[in-house]
Amino acid sequence: MQNTPIIEVNSISKTFGSFEAVKDVSFQVNQGDVFGFLGPNGAGKSTTIRCLLSLIRPNTGQIKLFGKTFTSNRAMILSKIGSIIEKPDFYKYLSAQKNLEIFARISGAQVSKKQIYEMLEFVGLSGREKHRVKGFSHGMKQRLGIAQTLLHKPDLIILDEPTTGLDPQGIIEIRNLILRLKTEQNKTILLSSHQLSEIELIANRMVIINKGKTLVEGTVSELLNQQEVLIVLDVDSADKAMALIKDRFPSSFPELNVRGQIELTLRKNQTASLNRELNKAEIAVSALEPKRKLEDFFIKIIGS
Amino acid sequence: MKQFIVFLFFIQICNLHYAQQSKVLNAYVTKLNSVKDYSVNAKIVAAVPMIKIKEVNAIIYFKQKDKFKIETKGIAVLPKQGFLDLNKFLATPSKYMAIESAGKEISGVQTTMVTVIPIDESTDVILAKLWIDSKRNIIMTSQLTTKSSGMLTTTYAYADQIPFGLPSSLVFEIDVKKFKMPKSVAANIHQTNKSTNNNKDQKGKITVYLTGYKVNKGLSDSIFK
Amino acid sequence: MMFFKNTYNEFIKIAAKPRSYIGLIALSVLIAVIIFAMKADGSTYISFVTASFEQTLSFSGDIMNGNLIAFIILQMLIVHIPLLVALVTGDLISGEANMGTIRMLASKPISRSQIVLSKFTAGALYTLLLTIWLGFLSLYVARWIFGTGDLMVLTSDGLIIHPESDIEWRYIYGFLTAYLSLLTVSTLSICLSAFAENSIGPIVSTMAIIILFTIIGTMDVTVFDTIKPYLFTTHMAAWRSYFEDPVPWDAINESIRILIYHNVILVAIALFQFNRKDITS
Repeated sequence: MQNTPIIEVNSISKTFGSFEAVKDVSFQVNQGDVFGFLGPNGAGKSTTIRCLLSLIRPNTGQIKLFGKTFTSNRAMILSKIGSIIEKPDFYKYLSAQKNLEIFARISGAQVSKKQIYEMLEFVGLSGREKHRVKGFSHGMKQRLGIAQTLLHKPDLIILDEPTTGLDPQGIIEIRNLILRLKTEQNKTILLSSHQLSEIELIANRMVIINKGKTLVEGTVSELLNQQEVLIVLDVDSADKAMALIKDRFPSSFPELNVRGQIELTLRKNQTASLNRELNKAEIAVSALEPKRKLEDFFIKIIGS
Repeated sequence: MKQFIVFLFFIQICNLHYAQQSKVLNAYVTKLNSVKDYSVNAKIVAAVPMIKIKEVNAIIYFKQKDKFKIETKGIAVLPKQGFLDLNKFLATPSKYMAIESAGKEISGVQTTMVTVIPIDESTDVILAKLWIDSKRNIIMTSQLTTKSSGMLTTTYAYADQIPFGLPSSLVFEIDVKKFKMPKSVAANIHQTNKSTNNNKDQKGKITVYLTGYKVNKGLSDSIFK
Repeated sequence: MMFFKNTYNEFIKIAAKPRSYIGLIALSVLIAVIIFAMKADGSTYISFVTASFEQTLSFSGDIMNGNLIAFIILQMLIVHIPLLVALVTGDLISGEANMGTIRMLASKPISRSQIVLSKFTAGALYTLLLTIWLGFLSLYVARWIFGTGDLMVLTSDGLIIHPESDIEWRYIYGFLTAYLSLLTVSTLSICLSAFAENSIGPIVSTMAIIILFTIIGTMDVTVFDTIKPYLFTTHMAAWRSYFEDPVPWDAINESIRILIYHNVILVAIALFQFNRKDITS
């Protein structure tokens, strides 16, 4: 059941005039995934997400959602999706409640007023139901956006940069909310973000795209474990340690930095053996810090 | 030649003197003055170039000496010099001279033509010609020329109110002069050709049918307010 | 079903927007000004109309009545109401693009055609409301203030005086035809709105088109004669024809046909454009 594909994107491309926004993007999101959709600004993330919501038609390639294409199943597919694209925009001259009523009415599900109140409470907007959105802060609009996304109990939630512009507290709130949706309601979530730490914390699978192309796709743990990490080593005898590392780990390219620490590159699973070897050679290790995480991986992938 | 002109002038003066005491007109005016007041139902049918109006019903009220009122539910078109002006003018014989001459036959009745010329120059009337049935003392046709409105010819028909000289119908013939349409007001989308407005003088006709006279019943002055 | 739900949504949005009331308020103020002017100095206006006839004829009866006031108001305002209509309808699609709500709307399980059609319907209802308000103020309020009576109308053929009993149906048909004209303006502005991503563009473009077509329609140049009958602005005064005698039914039917064609074509263009449009805003 966990491997039932919910989103299947096969080699889609989209051009706007002479600009190729998406060249060759493919990925698959399975049921129950919190799927990280990574890429630098202008990589084609938003265009791809808009394609997933039938806002933009790809020039080539195929998109299947819930095993169906948009051709004759658009309404069915969209009724199962809740989404925020970029920033949530609302009718500023209407209240939070009226805005939700408007979107609920065309969501394809029966949503009662009670449910709307409950949802506003869920996102922490109770007491602001009758307030016009015009006076809402960005964070409040973001939470209202989440309420709008969840109102009709969708199976798939697509969140495009949901934490953009939020303060740290807001980011934590949204992150916790997403985790609750996964754990309590087993929703499938596609999360696009440039907060890479966020993806690392929340997502179980991810894809990285750049310049409109898929670069890598897999589970977050696999992708991170496969990769090399930058180790910063603080030892009592740097020269001795340097000689040992060059001997035992010849491809790690150790270097001394300005603070007298040794920086070297290792595969993540080699960290423990490095520690063992240093202990065996009676070199006192005061710090062994793996520095390279998703950010570095991301930069490396993009750079390559 | 000079003598002939002097003779003509003499004849004319004699005639004028005689006409000032025109029996025919005096008899008519006497009859006119016997009507102290009346009310009558009127049906006004106007056939005037460039005016389209359906027939209108009205009630006309008159009271000596010059109280006059037309009560219509809607809009009615009448000649500017209509009902009262001629009678008002004729009611004061001291203000005009009248010349009698042989008239034409109108509706089988031989009439006397009375030409009335005002003495007072301030009056609007320039000339009035009346064709009077001298036997019944009723006007058959009148032609009134005024400074302000040009010439108005009225033909009278009578029924049961002959004793009072009140007509059963009046047909006004008016000169309709060069009506100019303000273009902005009269813009017509369906008029593809240029306007066919006739700039030449045309004749218009307004007929007033009068029925149900109530004569000398003592109309209240309040009606005319 | 989704269409009706979204039409209801559209009407809620129109009702909540302050600009929707500008039209109603402006209309009320304009009519109040005209009524005040006519109450204060209506005789001057009447003599302007009847001046040509007054040398030989006199008009008895109450010419300055509610029916004439309504005619004057309609004649004066029919030129300006398109702006009030476009102010609201020109914003219906592009306003959503401008606000960013269009992507929220278009990612719901409602077809794009239904979105566009419900916007046209809401625009049509708003235009109807504006026309009814115009009719109510010009006819019923004017009658209440000035009383009723026969209607004197000046046409290129001269003066026509319609009896009071023969007016009501002319106004009903007249307002329906005026509504069709305004509906065409509404449809045009919504159609332009489907191409734009800001509010002001379609509103200004609608007015520019109306001004351009009106100028072409009024220019006495033969080169335009072939296109004049097909310009919708030529038929925007078709409501007046019901006050002619005899009523030119063929010409009116032709006007109605052309206005309906315009509406159908403009809706089709808007549907085509909105369906093929990539929503990038």
